[in-house]
Amino acid sequence: MLLRDIGFFLTEAFISIRRSGLMAAISTATIGVSLIVFGIFLLISANISNISDFFSDKLEIRIFLKESISAGQISSMKHRLEAMPEFKSVTFVSKDKAWRDFRKGFQSLDLTDLVENPLPHSFKLTLKDNEQIVKTAKYVRGFENVEDVGYMGTIAERITKFAAYTRLAGFILVSLLTLATLLIVVNTIRLTVIARQDEITIMHLVGATVPFIRWPFIIEGALMGLAGSCASVAILSPLYGMFVVRIQEKMPYIPILQEDFRLTLIYLTLIIVGTSLGIFGSYISVSRTIKNPS
Amino acid sequence: MIRIKNVTKTYPNGYVALDNVNLHIGRNEFVYLVGQSGAGKSTLLNMLYKAETPSSGDIYIDNIPLSTISAKQIPFLRRSIGVIFQDYKLLPKRTVYENVAFALRVMHFSRARIRRQVTQVLELVGLQQKMYNMPSELSGGEQQRICIARAIVNNPPVLLADEPTGSLDPETSWEIMQLLSKINSRQTTVVVATHNKSIVDDIRKRVIQVDNGHVVRDEQLGMYNK
Repeated sequence: MLLRDIGFFLTEAFISIRRSGLMAAISTATIGVSLIVFGIFLLISANISNISDFFSDKLEIRIFLKESISAGQISSMKHRLEAMPEFKSVTFVSKDKAWRDFRKGFQSLDLTDLVENPLPHSFKLTLKDNEQIVKTAKYVRGFENVEDVGYMGTIAERITKFAAYTRLAGFILVSLLTLATLLIVVNTIRLTVIARQDEITIMHLVGATVPFIRWPFIIEGALMGLAGSCASVAILSPLYGMFVVRIQEKMPYIPILQEDFRLTLIYLTLIIVGTSLGIFGSYISVSRTIKNPS
Repeated sequence: MIRIKNVTKTYPNGYVALDNVNLHIGRNEFVYLVGQSGAGKSTLLNMLYKAETPSSGDIYIDNIPLSTISAKQIPFLRRSIGVIFQDYKLLPKRTVYENVAFALRVMHFSRARIRRQVTQVLELVGLQQKMYNMPSELSGGEQQRICIARAIVNNPPVLLADEPTGSLDPETSWEIMQLLSKINSRQTTVVVATHNKSIVDDIRKRVIQVDNGHVVRDEQLGMYNK
């Protein structure tokens, strides 16, 4: 394609869109609607993983040790835990430190009756992969000198499972929508190709190459995809803004994404996906309908 | 310029449109292809710009065998062969200028060069005043002139015409044939398939008569009938 052809192709694409009018509008709208659903899924998914990350930082396994444990045993257990690849960090919390932290955290409690520190020595462990928390907790429970193991099992499990389910559901939904949108684009472009069959015949006659004939249709698809995706972003972005305000009024403790580069990335993804859908759809269509003569 | 060697065309239904045809048309010749409908004239013309391919035998244009031209190369062959039709095959929603410029656009010419060549050719066919009209606003003869302008705007060495006067009245037909003669005199080989007896008899050129897929007569300065 030469630079001077681009102007010609663009003009041809615009002429074609104007002529196919309603069909082009329906295609553009379909791309737009599909991308809104796609975008909603991306926003939900990004927020869930954000919330999941937020809680993950607080997820930990606590190993409470028996009273009878010796300093040497503590040290060897620390080495053993540090050697395990599952853990991001291994911190020993002594009986005294635990007691100090406890009193600091609960200053309003009257603890004067307690003459002796009731808390045991413990290890505070954070994981590299939070999905492994249950398994790992059960595993360390079997260690010698372990009195008890505590972890935020149910919450951790629920968050990670929920994130996985939404990802799967979203993936299926988005795949189906993408396929449907693609089929609609393929059909729209095919109709415009059929409508312009006479022109294509003449182009063949005067010596136009197949790529030259195809380009305007591909640009037409790209323009429809671009328009549809920009429309979806124009609708989605303020809607999400309103949603954020509502959530923050009612549940200010939920860490929701706002003014984050991830949002920009999501909107950019929508525009790229939409435009690519338009290009790919029309490419499929023209490669089936516009071929070399004879 | 054009050499047709042992060309036979059999359609899938068994109909033999051309049977072992041999012809030679020299550079800058003007040739009438005459014969009844279904005699094989159009098949012959179509094969010259590879809209159809022979079942056997080969056609050489400028010594290049068309059988060696792949589907991808056909567009480049067509740029050196202008074709005009009985039904003009114009783009109805574009101006006269656009219709002619179209042929140069596909060759990636610059805007300035397109403008220059289109203006020149429209002057040659006498349509410079109607450049911005739509084809539907023009008469049949004028529409055929657009088609001719489009076919020759690139100065192809060969011009093929399939019944160019088939839809025109005698006077207009005569004007169109004069125009084709003029183009022929500008170093273009012209092949005209026609039914128009009076034209062939008035403007005397080489006449090749096809009947039932065979060349039955090839005569310099011939008449429509023997």
